[in-house]
Amino acid sequence: MFPSIDRVKPGLQKLIAALGETYPYASVLAVEDDARSWRVSRAGVNISASGNEGGAGFVVRVFDGTGCAEYSFNEFSEEKIPDICAALARRMGEQNAALEDFAPLPTPIPADEPAVLKKETAWKVHPRELGDEAIVNKITALREKALAVDERVLDATAAVTYRAYRKLFLSPNRDLDQTIMWTNAMVAVMASRGQEIKLSYHPFSLLGGAELLDQMDAGVEETARKALELLDSQPIPPGEYECVCDPETTGMIVHEAFGHGVEMDMFVKDRALARSFIGEYVASPLVTMHDGSAVDESATMFFDDEGTLTGDTVVIDKGILKTGMCDALSAARLGVAPTGNGRRESYERKAYTRMTNTYFQGGASTPEEMIASVKDGFLLETPSSGMEDPKNWGIQCMVTTAREIKDGRLTGKLYSPIVLTGYVPDLLKSVSMMGGTVELSGSGYCGKGYKEWVKVSDGGPYMKARIRLG
Amino acid sequence: MIQRIKNALSRCGVSLWRINQREEETAELFFVKKQLDTRRIKDVRKYEVTVFRDVEAKDGGRPSRGFTSVMLIASMDDERLDEALKGAYYAAQFAANPYFDLPDPVQAPMVEKTGELAQAPLAQSAGKMAKALFAPDVHQDAFVNSAEIFVVRSACRIVSSEGTDVSYTDARVNGEFVVQCREPEDVEMHNTFEYDELNGEALSAKVAEALTFVRDRARAQKILKSGKYDLVLSGNAVAEVLSYYADRSSAGMVYAKYSTWRQGEDVQGETQGERLDLTLRAFHPYSPEGIPTGVDLPLLEGGKLLTWHGPNRFCRYLGIKPTGDYRRLVCANGTASFESLKKGPCLWAVTFSDFQMDEMSGHFGGEIRLAYLIEEDGKVTPVTGGSVNGSILEAQKDLAFSTDRYLTARYDGPYAMRLKGVSIAGAGE
Repeated sequence: MFPSIDRVKPGLQKLIAALGETYPYASVLAVEDDARSWRVSRAGVNISASGNEGGAGFVVRVFDGTGCAEYSFNEFSEEKIPDICAALARRMGEQNAALEDFAPLPTPIPADEPAVLKKETAWKVHPRELGDEAIVNKITALREKALAVDERVLDATAAVTYRAYRKLFLSPNRDLDQTIMWTNAMVAVMASRGQEIKLSYHPFSLLGGAELLDQMDAGVEETARKALELLDSQPIPPGEYECVCDPETTGMIVHEAFGHGVEMDMFVKDRALARSFIGEYVASPLVTMHDGSAVDESATMFFDDEGTLTGDTVVIDKGILKTGMCDALSAARLGVAPTGNGRRESYERKAYTRMTNTYFQGGASTPEEMIASVKDGFLLETPSSGMEDPKNWGIQCMVTTAREIKDGRLTGKLYSPIVLTGYVPDLLKSVSMMGGTVELSGSGYCGKGYKEWVKVSDGGPYMKARIRLG
Repeated sequence: MIQRIKNALSRCGVSLWRINQREEETAELFFVKKQLDTRRIKDVRKYEVTVFRDVEAKDGGRPSRGFTSVMLIASMDDERLDEALKGAYYAAQFAANPYFDLPDPVQAPMVEKTGELAQAPLAQSAGKMAKALFAPDVHQDAFVNSAEIFVVRSACRIVSSEGTDVSYTDARVNGEFVVQCREPEDVEMHNTFEYDELNGEALSAKVAEALTFVRDRARAQKILKSGKYDLVLSGNAVAEVLSYYADRSSAGMVYAKYSTWRQGEDVQGETQGERLDLTLRAFHPYSPEGIPTGVDLPLLEGGKLLTWHGPNRFCRYLGIKPTGDYRRLVCANGTASFESLKKGPCLWAVTFSDFQMDEMSGHFGGEIRLAYLIEEDGKVTPVTGGSVNGSILEAQKDLAFSTDRYLTARYDGPYAMRLKGVSIAGAGE
C-alpha cells in the first residue's frame, strides 16, 4: 500500500542530507493515508473520503541556534529541496528577529540512536474490498433495526470509518516505516419527549478492517432500549456514592482524570501535580495502569511521530505511580528516556506527549459481585465527555446514565446526565474492587486542551469506587 | 491544479462537482513561561472535490442525488487523480438522498481581507502577539505558565460545475495560554483566544483578567453547598448557552426532526425575563458551498424564530432559500450593568474545566474552576469545585443580560447573563 511513499523516499533522504549541512539535527516524517466514512441517519446517507487527520504530507524538524523548529508542507519533489531549505532558513530568521526579547527554552538535541523498522498491522477484510454498497446496506439495516424497537425512537444513526495510513520517519540514523489500519463504528439512538431528546450510543473499534461490522448487530437493540429508558430519567441528588463503573466509564477515568496528568510535557511546564508523586501511592493497590502498544486497538503503532519506538509503559503499578508518558523533546529536557508518546494530530501540527491505548489492568471481581456489595449507590454507564486537570487533579467527567443500586440490587431507577467531580487520588484510592475482563474502546479522539485531536483507546474492567456525583 | 482536476473529472464522466481549494500558511509559536519552546511554519495547499451523482428512480420519478467528497493534493499524478475521483463517483451512487438542486451559481472577484494581520509578514504578527500576550505578565504571584500562538493566513477558491467561481482571503490569530498562581494553593487556568484582527490590546486585556482570576482561584475555598442558585455566567459560557438557539434552528436539525422549531414560533416561550434577540454573522464572505454569506442573518426577535439556516441540501429540503453556514452569534440583549446583574445573592461562575451545552437535551453544565459566591449584603467569596447542571428549557423562562459587551471571533454580545434557580452540585459537603 501507499507506493508513493517509496517513490519520494530517496528524495526525502536527500532532503535530510541537505538540511544536515546547516543544522546539527534534521528529521522528516512523511504520511500518506486512505480514509473513508459511511454514515446513515434521518439526515441521509453520507460517504466521505476527505479524511479527518490531515491527509498526506511532510513535516521536517531541525535544531538551529535557537532550538527546535519545524516546517510542514504537502508538496515535495527532489527539485523542491533547495526551496524547502531556503524557506525554512528565511522564515526562521524572520521569526527569530521578531522574538529578540524572548530567550529559547534550553533543549538538548534528542538522541538519534540507530534503528531500522518496517512493519504493518493485519486486517481480515479491507473496507474497500467489502465495498461502499455492502457497507451502506449493512448500516442501513442496523439503523432500521433500531428504529423498529419502539415508536418513541426519533432517529438512529449508524456509521463506519476506517483509516489506513503509512508513516515513514527518516533521520541520519533512523529509517522507520509502518502501515496501520483501524476501523471504528457506532450506533446512536435518539428518543424524544417534547423538546427534550435523549441519546444513547454504542461504539465499536478494532485494529483491523471491515470485520468489525460483524460485531455491530449485538449492540443495536440494547442501545435503543437505553435511549428509551433515559426518557424517564431524573436529575441525580448530588452527593458522594459507592459506584460501579462500566469498562467505558473506567476508561474515561483512566484517560481523562489520570492519564492527562502524567503526560510529561506537562512536567516540563510545571503543570502536573503527578511529577511530585512519582514513587508514591496515588491509587488503591488494586490499580495497575498501562499505556502503549502491547494491545491491539485503534492507537496501536510501532513508532511515534518523532521516531521513537513504542512499547508498554506501566504508569501505575499496584497503586504506586512509577512514571509518566513522554515525547522526545520533553524527555530530552527532563533527562529521561522517551516512551513513544510523541504524537501529532497530523503532519500539519506540533508533536506533544499524548496517550495511546491507556487502561487499567484487570482484577478478580465480577460486576455481579460489585453490585451485590453496594448498599446505596449507582452503576455508571456510557461516558459522554471528560476534561483534564493535570495541575490540580480535579475530575470533570460526564456519563449519560446512573442506575440506582439499593441493598445490592439494581432498582430500575435511572438518573441522567451525571457529572463526576472530586480529587483524582481520592477516587483512585477508593477503588475497592476491580473486574476480571478488560475492555478497550478506541472509537474516540483525544484533545490536548481543546484541540490537537488524536486517535486513542482507553478502558479497563468494571471497577468499584466512591465518587462524587452531581 | 484546478484545471487538472477539471480534466480528470471530465475523463471520469463526472458532470456535477464542486472544488474547494484552500491554501494555508502559518507561523506558530510555543512558549514555556517566557521561553521559546518551538517555532513552526506551515505551507499547505489542498483541494476537496465533491462529486454528485444522480440515481434514476425505479418508478420513473425524480432521481435521487448522492455525493461524496475526496481530498486531493498537487503532487498526485493524473493516474491517482482519476483513481480517487472514480472511487468517489462510484461511492456517490450509494449515498443517494432525496433530490436537491445545487446552489445557484455565483461569480465574483476575489474578496481580499485587508489590515495588518492580512498584510504584514506572519513572523512579525506572531512576534507582536507574543509581546502582547506577555505584556501583563509582570507579577510575582500570578504568571503565564505557557502559551501557544497561531497566525494563520489562508486563501480559498470555490469552483463548481454550475458556474460558481468565488474566492476570498482570510487571516486569523488564535491560541491558548495557561495562567498559574502558586500561593496559597498552586492552581492554573486554561484560556483560549481567537481574533480576526491583530488585536494585541484585547489579548493583553484577556491575559490581565486571567491573571486576576487565577489569583482568586488560588485562594478560593471548596465551600459551595449543593442547591439551587441564581447563576451568573460570563464570557465564553454565555456564548455556549446561546449556541443552543443557533443549533436548534439549523436546517439539518429541523430536517432530521431533531428540532421541531418552526419559523415564526415563539421558541423561548413564556418568560418573566428578557426576550431573546439573536443574529447570525458569517466568518467568511461565502460558505463552503459558495453561497454568499456577507449579510447578517436575523435569527430570533423577541424570542421568536425568524429563520432556519444551514447548508444548501437541508435548506432545499425545507423549501427555503439556502443561507449557507453562519458561525458567529450576535446577541443584542442587555438591560442591566454587569455590576447590578451580579447583585447578591447569586453565584458568578467565572471559569469551568469544560462548560458544555447539549443541543439535544438543552442541558448545560461543567465543573467549576472559579466562582464568586455573592451574598445579599454584597460579601464576595471565591469558591472552587462543584458543578453546574442546568436546563435551558427551564432557565429561558427568566433570563437577564448585561449591557457590558464581549467580543470574540465567534460571539458578539452581552458579557454576562443571569439564570434563576440553576441546580449546583456542591464541593464542600
